[in-house]
Amino acid sequence: MEKASINPFQLFALMVLFELGSAIVITIGIEAEQDAWISILLALAAGVAVFMVYSYLYKQFPGHSLIDFSQKIIGKYPGWVLGLLYMLYFLYIAMRVLRDFGDLLLTSTMPETPLFVINFFMVMTIIYVLYLGIEVLARTGEFFLLLLLLLGILANMLILFSGIIDVNNLLPVLGNGWKPVFQAAFPLVLNFPFGEIIVFTMLFPYLNQGSKIPKTGILALVFSGLLITITTSMNIAVLGMEIVSRTTFPLLTAVGKIRVADFLERLDAFVVVTLVIGMFFKIAIFTYASILGVTKLFNVNTHRKLVFPLGLILLLGSVAIAGNFSDHLEEGLDVVPYYLHMPFQIYIPFVLLLITIVRKKFSSGDIVGNNDAQSKTQRYQ
Amino acid sequence: MKKKKTRKTTSRFSLFNRSKNRSADFAEEMSTQIEQAIDSTDGIDSRVQKNIDRLKDIMGNSHDFIVREVIIRTEPFIQAAAMYIDGLADHTLISDFIIKAILEENHPTGDVEPAALLTTIKKQMLTIANVTMEDDWKTIVHSLLSGNTILFVDGIPKAFVGETAGGEWRSIEEPTSEITIRGAKDSFNESLLTNISLIRRRIKSPQVRIDLFQLGTLSRTDTVIFYIDGITDRRIVQEVEQRMKQIKADKITGSSYVEEWIQDQTLTVFPTVFNTERPDIVVNCLMEGRVAILVDGSPFALIVPTDFSQFFKAAEDYYQRFDLSTLIRVLRYFAFSVSLLGPSIYIALITFHQDLIPTTLVISLAAQREGIPFPAFIEALIMEVTFEVLREAGVRMPRAIGQAVSIVGALVIGQAAVQAGIVSAAMVIVVAGTAIASFTTPAYNLAVAARILRFAMMFLAATMGLYGILLGLIIMIAHLTSLKSFGSPYLSPFAPFYPKEHADGLFRFPQWLRRKSEGKTFSQTERG
Repeated sequence: MEKASINPFQLFALMVLFELGSAIVITIGIEAEQDAWISILLALAAGVAVFMVYSYLYKQFPGHSLIDFSQKIIGKYPGWVLGLLYMLYFLYIAMRVLRDFGDLLLTSTMPETPLFVINFFMVMTIIYVLYLGIEVLARTGEFFLLLLLLLGILANMLILFSGIIDVNNLLPVLGNGWKPVFQAAFPLVLNFPFGEIIVFTMLFPYLNQGSKIPKTGILALVFSGLLITITTSMNIAVLGMEIVSRTTFPLLTAVGKIRVADFLERLDAFVVVTLVIGMFFKIAIFTYASILGVTKLFNVNTHRKLVFPLGLILLLGSVAIAGNFSDHLEEGLDVVPYYLHMPFQIYIPFVLLLITIVRKKFSSGDIVGNNDAQSKTQRYQ
Repeated sequence: MKKKKTRKTTSRFSLFNRSKNRSADFAEEMSTQIEQAIDSTDGIDSRVQKNIDRLKDIMGNSHDFIVREVIIRTEPFIQAAAMYIDGLADHTLISDFIIKAILEENHPTGDVEPAALLTTIKKQMLTIANVTMEDDWKTIVHSLLSGNTILFVDGIPKAFVGETAGGEWRSIEEPTSEITIRGAKDSFNESLLTNISLIRRRIKSPQVRIDLFQLGTLSRTDTVIFYIDGITDRRIVQEVEQRMKQIKADKITGSSYVEEWIQDQTLTVFPTVFNTERPDIVVNCLMEGRVAILVDGSPFALIVPTDFSQFFKAAEDYYQRFDLSTLIRVLRYFAFSVSLLGPSIYIALITFHQDLIPTTLVISLAAQREGIPFPAFIEALIMEVTFEVLREAGVRMPRAIGQAVSIVGALVIGQAAVQAGIVSAAMVIVVAGTAIASFTTPAYNLAVAARILRFAMMFLAATMGLYGILLGLIIMIAHLTSLKSFGSPYLSPFAPFYPKEHADGLFRFPQWLRRKSEGKTFSQTERG
């Protein structure tokens, strides 16, 4: 574990960038049709609840990351294996996001560039930044969050001013009843993007004010959730349900429709900037969590030794995991949520929570107390 | 692995110890000739003639080493000799307050003890302001070379050292690189004492601290660090002192030498030490809890710690209305981005993203580029390199011929190149706009950073388009956030984000509004 500390605002920035990362540019909750915004809000509420579980677990073992406290809860060896599984999960999701990113960039702006080249440059950037450490990543996040917010506000204003919003596209509300809304929200939207916040349990120990984790996390979730809701509704309002359900990249199409005063047009570059920056942080955070975990599990003395090898695996994996984009999307919709996201994001943390609560009740807080003392010494080392 | 580590730490430790023991260091590194000459003499003789010979020997019979022998009295015979370096010492001071004083004063009569004579000379005869007694040859030689006058008197085995440093300096002139309309019009010159006085005059507080270092084993350059006790963080001062002590150079001929020794990171295009030639800026920085370093012979003061935003603060900002200053500052950041990204964005749009350019514009651009034989990247490279060459020629040429360069440059870069069909008119506009934008950065050394990175960005744009530029930006920002200047994060008011510091960061708030935040000085802010 590197010696570093980040402040609550930096954690907030990383979380928001992470959440927005891919969710803002692609469609989520579209199974609910024009009620996608309700699905997203429902999933957001559930996501906040799930996040409370993570931060409760961290509160029981302050100063310990996910793989540390899982070893404390279910024993050393089972915990180690679980940690390894989590690391593989994070790395695999990083690969998936990188693949998503490469394909989106390919289809939207650089149709003639090979996927490998695009991913290669992205991975090189990630390797450089992760080599510099979590502090640098967090501060860079802070900087780019402010930039993206400015860009977002500008783009939204322009959409508003160009008068292409048609609110009728969002009606009727709940035209098909609650069922499709719930089906869209659970598990898809809950898992992606909100449940993925579990990756931050690896970063909690770096926060210099540990007590602020629940507040910061919930704030970040709500903030990014609302932004996603607004963007999705805006897309539907501008493009209509028909087009949104057919494009992979609705934000690009929506922003492409901006036309103000006959010269402000073709602002697609805004969306590309958002895509690259958001995806960069999402992939970087997943990869960093994985690197950090492997560093701990195998007692490597510094994470820097692992940045390059794991980066290489990430690059090759991102190209190799699927034969083509539609295979990749199919896996992402039919397999990953049920066999990977649900267990790793929801089931396992809940089981850990149950075990902790039960043990706390029966051992009258003894174990937890010990852990607290240990963790404190570890933090001050 | 462990062994290696310990060895490293011990060696560093010993290095530190050695540099602490400065007099030992001095003897070790003095050039051998002087060293032997000084070592062979064992203290100061009571006969004047012998001392003169020794000092002449040490100075190698140098032409500008002047010895003025006087006779204090004849019965008993007491001779004295004043020695100084011509040009370093002030002639008027020497003749009026040392020679004249000795020759004209009423001398004690009868036999006098050496001790009594010494007191008489020091207290009743020498009329110069500052006189010290020295009996160490090294100190004597050093003060002689600093422009002081050495006085030997028969029967006294000590030397009088009168402070007569003077000579010719450039007078205090208007700043040449940081010009203001309403601000103070004085700037530093090459004399350390003058520079110190320029700062002292502006802060009449006994809390101002000045520590002297002599750097360079041969040049023995006086260097001072300035800070304000009670405002500046002690840890920063200690860090500066420690780094200054670790300088192992034989000569320091300018503040940039010191900068290269003490800066945090060498492998970066961004400057991590700020420099200024304006005393008012130094005073502002001292008040913010920074440390200033002044080097004798250099008209530029160094300021540490610094941050990225400081390089965008022009002296003029504090002398104009706050609204104008704020707008101009934002404009500077914008111009900096243009000078960094201008050509690369153009290359990316022309090469990869024609669809992002509005239709009418893309048609006109395509028409312009019709006969151009090069891809946009090569075209931009040709223009940028030509411009760099012209700029360098303009700077290095004697001022009289400079005009010719600018005429040729304007013709070559401008009309002729376009008419010859080598470059497109749009490219000329982009390159010229970039060049003008790069002149708005108040600090030259930061403008240079953008100048270097511009080429890297152009390359990235040519290979990966907008995507390449974005990745380049991410890498640049990450690099900037990883930099530190004396322990404080380089990109600090932006990342880590300190909103309050933007009162004098991205913006410049009115003075009365800033007063609130002034209690929270640079040093007390929590910094990673």
